[in-house]
Amino acid sequence: MATTMEDYAKQPREQRLQRLTRTADELSAAINGQAEAVLARRPDDKNWAAKEIVCHLRDAEEMFTSRFELIVAMDTDPKLVGPSADRMAEERQYLRNDAGEAIGAFRRRRAENVEYLRTLTPAQWDKGGVHPVRGRMTIDTFLTLMAWHDDNHLDQLGRALAGKA
Amino acid sequence: MPFSYYARLTRSQQAIYRKSDEIPEVRLPRPDALHPMVEGLTSALASEDRLAVQRATDRLIRGLTDAVAVPPVKVEVLAARPHAKWGELHGLYTSERGKPPKIQLWMRTAKQRRVVAFRTYLRTLLHEVGHHFDYALLRLPDSYHTEGFYKRESSLFKQLVPEARAPRAPHVEAWFRTSPDERLARLARTPDQLAALLAGRSESALARRPAADAWAPVEIVCHLRDAEEMFGQRFGTILAMDDPILTEAGPAERWASDRQYRRHDAALALAHFRRRRGESMETLMAMAPDDWQRGGEHPVRGRVTIDMFVALMAWHDDNHVEQLTRAVEGRP
Repeated sequence: MATTMEDYAKQPREQRLQRLTRTADELSAAINGQAEAVLARRPDDKNWAAKEIVCHLRDAEEMFTSRFELIVAMDTDPKLVGPSADRMAEERQYLRNDAGEAIGAFRRRRAENVEYLRTLTPAQWDKGGVHPVRGRMTIDTFLTLMAWHDDNHLDQLGRALAGKA
Repeated sequence: MPFSYYARLTRSQQAIYRKSDEIPEVRLPRPDALHPMVEGLTSALASEDRLAVQRATDRLIRGLTDAVAVPPVKVEVLAARPHAKWGELHGLYTSERGKPPKIQLWMRTAKQRRVVAFRTYLRTLLHEVGHHFDYALLRLPDSYHTEGFYKRESSLFKQLVPEARAPRAPHVEAWFRTSPDERLARLARTPDQLAALLAGRSESALARRPAADAWAPVEIVCHLRDAEEMFGQRFGTILAMDDPILTEAGPAERWASDRQYRRHDAALALAHFRRRRGESMETLMAMAPDDWQRGGEHPVRGRVTIDMFVALMAWHDDNHVEQLTRAVEGRP
Protein backbone atom coordinates (compact mmCIF):
# COMPACT_ATOMS: atom_id res chain seq x y z
CA MET A 1 0.00 0.00 0.00
CA ALA A 2 1.55 3.27 -1.16
CA THR A 3 2.28 6.01 1.35
CA THR A 4 0.05 8.99 0.56
CA MET A 5 0.91 12.65 0.97
CA GLU A 6 -1.33 12.72 4.03
CA ASP A 7 0.59 9.78 5.55
CA TYR A 8 3.91 11.51 4.91
CA ALA A 9 2.61 14.77 6.37
CA LYS A 10 2.14 12.98 9.69
CA GLN A 11 5.69 11.68 9.79
CA PRO A 12 8.37 13.53 11.78
CA ARG A 13 10.54 15.74 9.63
CA GLU A 14 13.62 13.61 10.19
CA GLN A 15 11.82 10.51 8.94
CA ARG A 16 10.84 12.30 5.73
CA LEU A 17 14.42 13.57 5.30
CA GLN A 18 15.66 10.01 5.75
CA ARG A 19 13.30 8.90 3.00
CA LEU A 20 14.87 11.47 0.65
CA THR A 21 18.37 10.18 1.35
CA ARG A 22 17.51 6.65 0.13
CA THR A 23 16.17 7.57 -3.30
CA ALA A 24 19.43 7.84 -5.27
CA ASP A 25 20.45 4.31 -4.23
CA GLU A 26 17.00 3.00 -5.04
CA LEU A 27 17.21 4.49 -8.54
CA SER A 28 20.69 3.03 -9.07
CA ALA A 29 19.53 -0.41 -7.96
CA ALA A 30 16.50 -0.24 -10.26
CA ILE A 31 18.44 0.51 -13.43
CA ASN A 32 21.48 -1.63 -12.59
CA GLY A 33 22.21 -4.07 -15.42
CA GLN A 34 19.36 -2.82 -17.62
CA ALA A 35 20.07 -2.56 -21.34
CA GLU A 36 20.10 0.84 -22.99
CA ALA A 37 17.17 -0.19 -25.17
CA VAL A 38 15.10 -1.01 -22.09
CA LEU A 39 16.02 2.26 -20.38
CA ALA A 40 14.98 4.25 -23.46
CA ARG A 41 11.77 2.28 -24.15
CA ARG A 42 8.50 4.08 -23.56
CA PRO A 43 5.73 1.78 -22.34
CA ASP A 44 3.32 3.67 -24.64
CA ASP A 45 3.01 6.98 -26.46
CA LYS A 46 2.13 8.96 -23.37
CA ASN A 47 4.27 7.43 -20.63
CA TRP A 48 7.90 8.12 -19.92
CA ALA A 49 10.75 5.71 -20.42
CA ALA A 50 12.98 4.83 -17.43
CA LYS A 51 15.65 7.38 -18.33
CA GLU A 52 13.05 10.13 -18.70
CA ILE A 53 11.83 9.42 -15.18
CA VAL A 54 15.37 9.66 -13.81
CA CYS A 55 16.03 12.92 -15.70
CA HIS A 56 12.73 14.30 -14.43
CA LEU A 57 13.78 13.63 -10.83
CA ARG A 58 17.15 15.30 -11.49
CA ASP A 59 15.56 18.47 -12.91
CA ALA A 60 12.79 18.52 -10.31
CA GLU A 61 15.50 18.51 -7.66
CA GLU A 62 17.05 21.63 -9.16
CA MET A 63 13.60 23.26 -9.22
CA PHE A 64 13.06 22.41 -5.54
CA THR A 65 16.35 24.15 -4.73
CA SER A 66 15.34 27.34 -6.48
CA ARG A 67 11.93 27.28 -4.79
CA PHE A 68 13.47 26.91 -1.34
CA GLU A 69 15.88 29.74 -2.02
CA LEU A 70 13.11 32.00 -3.28
CA ILE A 71 10.77 31.25 -0.38
CA VAL A 72 13.50 31.80 2.22
CA ALA A 73 14.71 35.02 0.55
CA MET A 74 11.28 36.71 0.22
CA ASP A 75 9.47 38.49 3.05
CA THR A 76 6.08 37.69 1.54
CA ASP A 77 4.84 34.45 -0.04
CA PRO A 78 6.14 34.40 -3.62
CA LYS A 79 4.03 33.17 -6.50
CA LEU A 80 5.61 29.97 -7.74
CA VAL A 81 5.61 29.57 -11.49
CA GLY A 82 5.79 25.95 -12.52
CA PRO A 83 7.49 24.74 -15.68
CA SER A 84 5.84 21.90 -17.59
CA ALA A 85 7.55 18.57 -16.86
CA ASP A 86 6.59 17.16 -20.28
CA ARG A 87 8.01 20.18 -22.06
CA MET A 88 11.26 19.84 -20.11
CA ALA A 89 11.45 16.16 -21.05
CA GLU A 90 11.08 17.05 -24.71
CA GLU A 91 13.34 20.11 -24.81
CA ARG A 92 16.10 18.74 -22.61
CA GLN A 93 16.07 15.61 -24.73
CA TYR A 94 15.80 13.21 -21.83
CA LEU A 95 15.75 10.22 -24.17
CA ARG A 96 19.30 11.02 -25.32
CA ASN A 97 20.65 11.22 -21.75
CA ASP A 98 22.67 8.55 -20.02
CA ALA A 99 20.56 7.28 -17.10
CA GLY A 100 23.55 6.48 -14.86
CA GLU A 101 25.00 9.97 -15.28
CA ALA A 102 21.58 11.49 -14.65
CA ILE A 103 21.34 9.57 -11.35
CA GLY A 104 24.81 10.86 -10.44
CA ALA A 105 23.64 14.44 -10.98
CA PHE A 106 20.42 13.75 -9.06
CA ARG A 107 22.43 12.28 -6.19
CA ARG A 108 24.54 15.45 -5.90
CA ARG A 109 21.54 17.78 -6.07
CA ARG A 110 19.57 15.69 -3.57
CA ALA A 111 22.46 15.68 -1.09
CA GLU A 112 22.69 19.47 -1.41
CA ASN A 113 18.96 19.86 -0.78
CA VAL A 114 18.95 17.59 2.26
CA GLU A 115 21.95 19.43 3.66
CA TYR A 116 20.26 22.78 3.00
CA LEU A 117 16.97 21.70 4.61
CA ARG A 118 18.80 20.59 7.74
CA THR A 119 20.12 24.13 8.19
CA LEU A 120 16.65 25.77 8.24
CA THR A 121 15.29 27.39 11.37
CA PRO A 122 11.77 26.46 12.61
CA ALA A 123 10.45 29.78 11.26
CA GLN A 124 11.94 29.09 7.83
CA TRP A 125 10.27 25.67 7.66
CA ASP A 126 6.93 27.47 7.97
CA LYS A 127 7.65 30.00 5.22
CA GLY A 128 5.81 29.31 2.00
CA GLY A 129 4.89 30.24 -1.53
CA VAL A 130 1.73 30.08 -3.61
CA HIS A 131 1.74 27.11 -5.96
CA PRO A 132 -0.42 27.55 -9.10
CA VAL A 133 -2.25 24.25 -8.49
CA ARG A 134 -1.73 23.33 -4.85
CA GLY A 135 -2.18 26.77 -3.28
CA ARG A 136 0.02 27.87 -0.37
CA MET A 137 2.82 25.43 0.33
CA THR A 138 5.32 25.75 3.16
CA ILE A 139 8.81 24.33 2.93
CA ASP A 140 7.64 21.62 5.28
CA THR A 141 4.85 20.75 2.83
CA PHE A 142 7.44 20.65 0.05
CA LEU A 143 9.40 18.08 2.04
CA THR A 144 6.26 15.95 2.23
CA LEU A 145 5.69 16.43 -1.48
CA MET A 146 9.27 15.41 -2.30
CA ALA A 147 8.98 12.17 -0.28
CA TRP A 148 5.73 11.30 -2.03
CA HIS A 149 7.08 12.40 -5.43
CA ASP A 150 10.05 10.02 -4.98
CA ASP A 151 7.76 7.08 -4.18
CA ASN A 152 5.53 7.90 -7.07
CA HIS A 153 8.34 7.98 -9.61
CA LEU A 154 10.11 4.93 -8.20
CA ASP A 155 6.86 3.02 -8.75
CA GLN A 156 6.59 4.45 -12.23
CA LEU A 157 10.23 3.48 -12.89
CA GLY A 158 9.55 -0.14 -11.88
CA ARG A 159 6.58 -0.25 -14.28
CA ALA A 160 8.48 1.42 -17.13
CA LEU A 161 11.31 -1.11 -16.85
CA ALA A 162 8.72 -3.88 -17.04
CA GLY A 163 7.22 -2.21 -20.13
CA LYS A 164 4.05 -1.21 -18.28
CA ALA A 165 2.40 2.21 -18.28
CA MET B 1 58.74 63.20 -18.35
CA PRO B 2 58.26 61.33 -15.05
CA PHE B 3 54.96 61.34 -13.17
CA SER B 4 54.56 63.97 -10.46
CA TYR B 5 55.23 61.60 -7.56
CA TYR B 6 58.79 61.13 -8.88
CA ALA B 7 59.84 64.32 -7.07
CA ARG B 8 58.81 62.83 -3.73
CA LEU B 9 60.95 59.71 -4.14
CA THR B 10 64.38 59.26 -2.57
CA ARG B 11 67.44 59.20 -4.83
CA SER B 12 67.69 55.41 -4.84
CA GLN B 13 63.95 55.12 -5.55
CA GLN B 14 64.32 57.62 -8.40
CA ALA B 15 67.05 55.41 -9.86
CA ILE B 16 64.66 52.45 -9.82
CA TYR B 17 61.95 54.63 -11.37
CA ARG B 18 64.24 55.71 -14.24
CA LYS B 19 65.31 52.14 -14.90
CA SER B 20 61.66 51.04 -15.04
CA ASP B 21 60.82 53.95 -17.32
CA GLU B 22 63.52 53.03 -19.83
CA ILE B 23 62.12 49.57 -20.65
CA PRO B 24 59.21 49.94 -23.11
CA GLU B 25 58.27 46.32 -23.71
CA VAL B 26 58.40 42.72 -22.61
CA ARG B 27 58.83 40.57 -25.69
CA LEU B 28 57.19 37.15 -25.47
CA PRO B 29 59.08 34.47 -27.40
CA ARG B 30 55.94 32.85 -28.89
CA PRO B 31 52.85 34.94 -28.17
CA ASP B 32 50.68 32.79 -30.48
CA ALA B 33 51.16 29.85 -28.10
CA LEU B 34 49.27 31.89 -25.50
CA HIS B 35 46.35 32.86 -27.76
CA PRO B 36 44.27 29.74 -26.96
CA MET B 37 44.60 30.65 -23.26
CA VAL B 38 43.32 34.14 -24.01
CA GLU B 39 40.38 32.65 -25.92
CA GLY B 40 39.73 30.36 -22.97
CA LEU B 41 39.59 33.38 -20.72
CA THR B 42 37.06 35.07 -23.02
CA SER B 43 34.78 32.02 -22.85
CA ALA B 44 35.22 31.70 -19.09
CA LEU B 45 34.21 35.33 -18.54
CA ALA B 46 31.21 34.87 -20.83
CA SER B 47 30.12 31.88 -18.74
CA GLU B 48 30.21 34.13 -15.65
CA ASP B 49 31.43 31.15 -13.64
CA ARG B 50 34.06 32.18 -11.13
CA LEU B 51 35.79 28.80 -11.03
CA ALA B 52 36.05 28.72 -14.81
CA VAL B 53 37.56 32.24 -14.74
CA GLN B 54 39.96 31.18 -11.99
CA ARG B 55 41.16 28.22 -14.05
CA ALA B 56 41.49 30.23 -17.26
CA THR B 57 43.34 33.02 -15.42
CA ASP B 58 45.68 30.54 -13.77
CA ARG B 59 46.52 29.00 -17.10
CA LEU B 60 47.21 32.30 -18.81
CA ILE B 61 49.37 33.67 -16.01
CA ARG B 62 51.28 30.40 -15.79
CA GLY B 63 51.74 30.58 -19.56
CA LEU B 64 53.15 34.10 -19.24
CA THR B 65 55.56 33.29 -16.41
CA ASP B 66 56.74 30.13 -18.18
CA ALA B 67 57.21 32.05 -21.43
CA VAL B 68 59.73 34.42 -19.87
CA ALA B 69 61.13 31.79 -17.48
CA VAL B 70 60.30 33.45 -14.16
CA PRO B 71 58.88 31.72 -11.07
CA PRO B 72 55.10 31.26 -11.05
CA VAL B 73 52.79 33.46 -9.02
CA LYS B 74 49.78 32.43 -6.97
CA VAL B 75 46.48 33.61 -8.49
CA GLU B 76 43.15 34.22 -6.82
CA VAL B 77 40.00 35.30 -8.69
CA LEU B 78 37.37 36.89 -6.49
CA ALA B 79 33.77 37.94 -7.15
CA ALA B 80 32.73 41.57 -6.66
CA ARG B 81 35.39 44.25 -6.43
CA PRO B 82 35.79 45.96 -3.08
CA HIS B 83 34.87 49.59 -3.36
CA ALA B 84 35.69 52.67 -1.40
CA LYS B 85 35.42 56.42 -1.85
CA TRP B 86 38.48 56.45 -4.07
CA GLY B 87 36.99 53.91 -6.47
CA GLU B 88 37.11 50.21 -7.10
CA LEU B 89 40.00 47.82 -6.65
CA HIS B 90 40.47 45.87 -9.90
CA GLY B 91 43.50 43.78 -9.03
CA LEU B 92 46.25 43.48 -6.47
CA TYR B 93 49.80 42.15 -6.48
CA THR B 94 51.38 41.33 -3.14
CA SER B 95 54.89 40.17 -2.52
CA GLU B 96 55.79 39.80 1.13
CA ARG B 97 59.06 38.51 2.41
CA GLY B 98 58.94 34.77 3.10
CA LYS B 99 55.67 34.26 1.21
CA PRO B 100 55.11 33.39 -2.45
CA PRO B 101 53.90 36.40 -4.48
CA LYS B 102 50.17 36.57 -5.15
CA ILE B 103 47.87 38.19 -7.70
CA GLN B 104 44.25 38.83 -6.81
CA LEU B 105 41.74 39.78 -9.49
CA TRP B 106 38.09 40.76 -9.15
CA MET B 107 35.75 39.62 -11.93
CA ARG B 108 32.65 41.65 -11.05
CA THR B 109 32.10 45.37 -10.65
CA ALA B 110 31.48 46.63 -7.12
CA LYS B 111 28.10 48.31 -7.48
CA GLN B 112 26.31 46.63 -10.38
CA ARG B 113 28.13 43.34 -9.78
CA ARG B 114 28.38 42.79 -13.50
CA VAL B 115 31.12 40.63 -14.94
CA VAL B 116 34.01 42.85 -15.98
CA ALA B 117 34.47 43.26 -19.74
CA PHE B 118 37.07 40.96 -21.26
CA ARG B 119 39.52 43.71 -22.28
CA THR B 120 39.30 45.40 -18.88
CA TYR B 121 39.88 42.13 -17.10
CA LEU B 122 42.85 41.21 -19.31
CA ARG B 123 44.35 44.69 -18.87
CA THR B 124 44.10 44.32 -15.09
CA LEU B 125 45.60 40.85 -15.24
CA LEU B 126 48.55 42.10 -17.30
CA HIS B 127 48.99 45.06 -15.01
CA GLU B 128 49.44 42.77 -12.01
CA VAL B 129 51.64 40.38 -14.00
CA GLY B 130 53.67 43.49 -14.90
CA HIS B 131 54.44 44.03 -11.22
CA HIS B 132 55.56 40.43 -10.93
CA PHE B 133 57.78 40.80 -14.02
CA ASP B 134 59.32 43.96 -12.54
CA TYR B 135 60.65 41.95 -9.62
CA ALA B 136 61.19 38.51 -11.14
CA LEU B 137 62.22 39.32 -14.71
CA LEU B 138 63.65 42.85 -14.70
CA ARG B 139 65.09 42.41 -11.20
CA LEU B 140 63.92 45.83 -10.09
CA PRO B 141 64.01 46.26 -6.30
CA ASP B 142 60.59 47.97 -6.46
CA SER B 143 57.73 48.19 -8.95
CA TYR B 144 56.54 51.67 -9.82
CA HIS B 145 53.79 52.90 -12.11
CA THR B 146 56.01 54.56 -14.67
CA GLU B 147 55.32 55.35 -18.29
CA GLY B 148 57.59 52.45 -19.14
CA PHE B 149 55.53 50.18 -16.88
CA TYR B 150 52.33 51.08 -18.76
CA LYS B 151 54.08 50.61 -22.10
CA ARG B 152 55.16 47.14 -21.04
CA GLU B 153 51.57 46.35 -20.01
CA SER B 154 50.37 47.52 -23.45
CA SER B 155 53.07 45.55 -25.22
CA LEU B 156 51.87 42.38 -23.53
CA PHE B 157 48.26 43.20 -24.38
CA LYS B 158 49.05 43.75 -28.07
CA GLN B 159 50.95 40.48 -28.28
CA LEU B 160 48.07 38.57 -26.69
CA VAL B 161 45.21 40.31 -28.51
CA PRO B 162 46.22 41.31 -32.03
CA GLU B 163 43.50 43.61 -33.42
CA ALA B 164 42.26 40.99 -35.85
CA ARG B 165 41.51 38.64 -32.98
CA ALA B 166 39.94 41.15 -30.65
CA PRO B 167 36.29 40.48 -29.79
CA ARG B 168 34.04 42.59 -31.95
CA ALA B 169 30.79 42.15 -30.04
CA PRO B 170 29.41 45.38 -28.61
CA HIS B 171 29.73 45.65 -24.87
CA VAL B 172 26.57 45.23 -22.82
CA GLU B 173 26.58 48.96 -22.01
CA ALA B 174 26.23 49.67 -25.72
CA TRP B 175 23.03 47.63 -25.76
CA PHE B 176 21.67 49.57 -22.77
CA ARG B 177 21.83 52.70 -24.95
CA THR B 178 19.85 51.20 -27.85
CA SER B 179 16.10 51.45 -28.37
CA PRO B 180 13.77 48.55 -27.49
CA ASP B 181 13.11 48.04 -31.21
CA GLU B 182 16.82 47.66 -31.97
CA ARG B 183 17.21 45.13 -29.19
CA LEU B 184 14.13 43.18 -30.25
CA ALA B 185 15.40 43.14 -33.84
CA ARG B 186 18.68 41.70 -32.61
CA LEU B 187 16.87 39.00 -30.62
CA ALA B 188 14.76 38.10 -33.65
CA ARG B 189 17.83 37.45 -35.83
CA THR B 190 19.56 34.97 -33.54
CA PRO B 191 17.80 31.68 -34.40
CA ASP B 192 18.61 32.15 -38.11
CA GLN B 193 22.22 33.07 -37.32
CA LEU B 194 22.58 29.88 -35.32
CA ALA B 195 20.95 27.82 -38.07
CA ALA B 196 23.39 29.20 -40.65
CA LEU B 197 26.35 28.33 -38.43
CA LEU B 198 25.14 24.77 -37.80
CA ALA B 199 24.09 24.00 -41.38
CA GLY B 200 25.79 21.02 -43.00
CA ARG B 201 27.87 19.99 -40.01
CA SER B 202 27.89 16.44 -38.67
CA GLU B 203 26.68 15.46 -35.22
CA SER B 204 30.18 14.43 -34.20
CA ALA B 205 31.63 17.79 -35.34
CA LEU B 206 28.96 19.66 -33.37
CA ALA B 207 29.72 17.65 -30.23
CA ARG B 208 33.48 18.28 -30.44
CA ARG B 209 34.94 20.71 -27.91
CA PRO B 210 37.60 23.03 -29.37
CA ALA B 211 39.45 22.85 -26.02
CA ALA B 212 38.91 20.89 -22.84
CA ASP B 213 37.25 23.86 -21.13
CA ALA B 214 35.47 25.42 -24.13
CA TRP B 215 31.95 24.38 -25.13
CA ALA B 216 31.22 22.37 -28.25
CA PRO B 217 28.75 23.93 -30.74
CA VAL B 218 25.87 21.77 -29.49
CA GLU B 219 26.53 22.89 -25.90
CA ILE B 220 26.34 26.55 -26.93
CA VAL B 221 22.97 26.03 -28.61
CA CYS B 222 21.61 24.08 -25.61
CA HIS B 223 22.84 26.86 -23.33
CA LEU B 224 20.94 29.47 -25.34
CA ARG B 225 17.81 27.28 -25.28
CA ASP B 226 17.92 26.83 -21.50
CA ALA B 227 18.87 30.47 -20.89
CA GLU B 228 15.78 31.43 -22.92
CA GLU B 229 13.62 29.28 -20.66
CA MET B 230 15.17 31.05 -17.68
CA PHE B 231 14.56 34.52 -19.20
CA GLY B 232 10.93 33.51 -19.78
CA GLN B 233 10.61 32.52 -16.13
CA ARG B 234 12.22 35.78 -15.04
CA PHE B 235 9.68 37.78 -17.05
CA GLY B 236 6.84 35.72 -15.59
CA THR B 237 8.10 36.23 -12.04
CA ILE B 238 8.63 39.99 -12.51
CA LEU B 239 5.18 40.47 -14.03
CA ALA B 240 3.49 38.37 -11.32
CA MET B 241 5.05 40.14 -8.31
CA ASP B 242 6.32 43.56 -7.34
CA ASP B 243 10.12 43.58 -7.27
CA PRO B 244 10.57 39.88 -6.49
CA ILE B 245 13.89 38.38 -5.56
CA LEU B 246 15.44 36.63 -8.55
CA THR B 247 17.38 33.65 -7.31
CA GLU B 248 20.60 32.90 -9.11
CA ALA B 249 20.17 30.27 -11.82
CA GLY B 250 22.68 27.80 -13.12
CA PRO B 251 25.62 28.03 -13.08
CA ALA B 252 25.68 27.47 -16.82
CA GLU B 253 28.58 25.01 -16.61
CA ARG B 254 26.57 22.84 -14.24
CA TRP B 255 23.57 22.88 -16.56
CA ALA B 256 25.84 21.73 -19.38
CA SER B 257 27.16 18.77 -17.38
CA ASP B 258 23.99 17.83 -15.44
CA ARG B 259 21.77 18.04 -18.51
CA GLN B 260 24.34 16.28 -20.70
CA TYR B 261 24.32 18.87 -23.48
CA ARG B 262 26.89 17.00 -25.53
CA ARG B 263 24.44 14.13 -26.07
CA HIS B 264 21.75 16.48 -27.41
CA ASP B 265 20.77 16.92 -31.03
CA ALA B 266 21.79 20.43 -32.05
CA ALA B 267 19.07 20.91 -34.69
CA LEU B 268 16.39 19.93 -32.20
CA ALA B 269 17.89 22.20 -29.55
CA LEU B 270 17.86 25.05 -32.06
CA ALA B 271 14.20 24.37 -32.93
CA HIS B 272 13.30 24.57 -29.24
CA PHE B 273 15.36 27.70 -28.78
CA ARG B 274 13.53 29.24 -31.75
CA ARG B 275 10.18 28.39 -30.18
CA ARG B 276 11.17 29.78 -26.77
CA ARG B 277 12.62 32.91 -28.37
CA GLY B 278 9.34 33.44 -30.26
CA GLU B 279 7.46 33.22 -26.97
CA SER B 280 9.83 35.69 -25.27
CA MET B 281 9.38 38.15 -28.14
CA GLU B 282 5.61 37.84 -27.96
CA THR B 283 5.65 38.45 -24.20
CA LEU B 284 7.90 41.49 -24.59
CA MET B 285 5.93 43.02 -27.43
CA ALA B 286 2.63 42.56 -25.58
CA MET B 287 3.92 44.47 -22.53
CA ALA B 288 3.01 48.09 -21.89
CA PRO B 289 6.05 50.42 -21.92
CA ASP B 290 5.75 50.79 -18.14
CA ASP B 291 6.08 47.05 -17.70
CA TRP B 292 9.58 47.24 -19.19
CA GLN B 293 10.56 49.19 -16.08
CA ARG B 294 9.31 46.48 -13.73
CA GLY B 295 12.17 44.57 -12.19
CA GLY B 296 13.48 42.17 -9.62
CA GLU B 297 16.41 41.96 -7.22
CA HIS B 298 19.18 39.82 -8.68
CA PRO B 299 21.69 38.46 -6.12
CA VAL B 300 24.66 39.48 -8.26
CA ARG B 301 23.49 42.27 -10.55
CA GLY B 302 21.25 44.15 -8.11
CA ARG B 303 17.89 45.50 -9.39
CA VAL B 304 17.38 44.37 -12.96
CA THR B 305 14.45 45.66 -14.99
CA ILE B 306 12.89 43.89 -17.96
CA ASP B 307 14.42 46.65 -20.09
CA MET B 308 17.86 45.67 -18.77
CA PHE B 309 17.17 41.97 -19.28
CA VAL B 310 16.45 42.62 -22.96
CA ALA B 311 19.81 44.41 -23.30
CA LEU B 312 21.49 41.51 -21.48
CA MET B 313 19.81 39.04 -23.83
CA ALA B 314 21.05 40.96 -26.89
CA TRP B 315 24.58 41.03 -25.50
CA HIS B 316 24.33 37.37 -24.46
CA ASP B 317 23.28 36.47 -28.02
CA ASP B 318 26.22 38.43 -29.49
CA ASN B 319 28.63 36.66 -27.20
CA HIS B 320 27.41 33.18 -27.93
CA VAL B 321 27.01 33.71 -31.68
CA GLU B 322 30.67 34.73 -31.68
CA GLN B 323 31.59 31.78 -29.52
CA LEU B 324 29.69 29.45 -31.87
CA THR B 325 31.43 30.99 -34.89
CA ARG B 326 34.75 30.06 -33.31
CA ALA B 327 33.61 26.66 -32.03
CA VAL B 328 32.45 25.40 -35.45
CA GLU B 329 35.91 26.28 -36.76
CA GLY B 330 37.51 24.35 -33.89
CA ARG B 331 38.68 27.51 -32.10
CA PRO B 332 37.98 27.99 -28.35
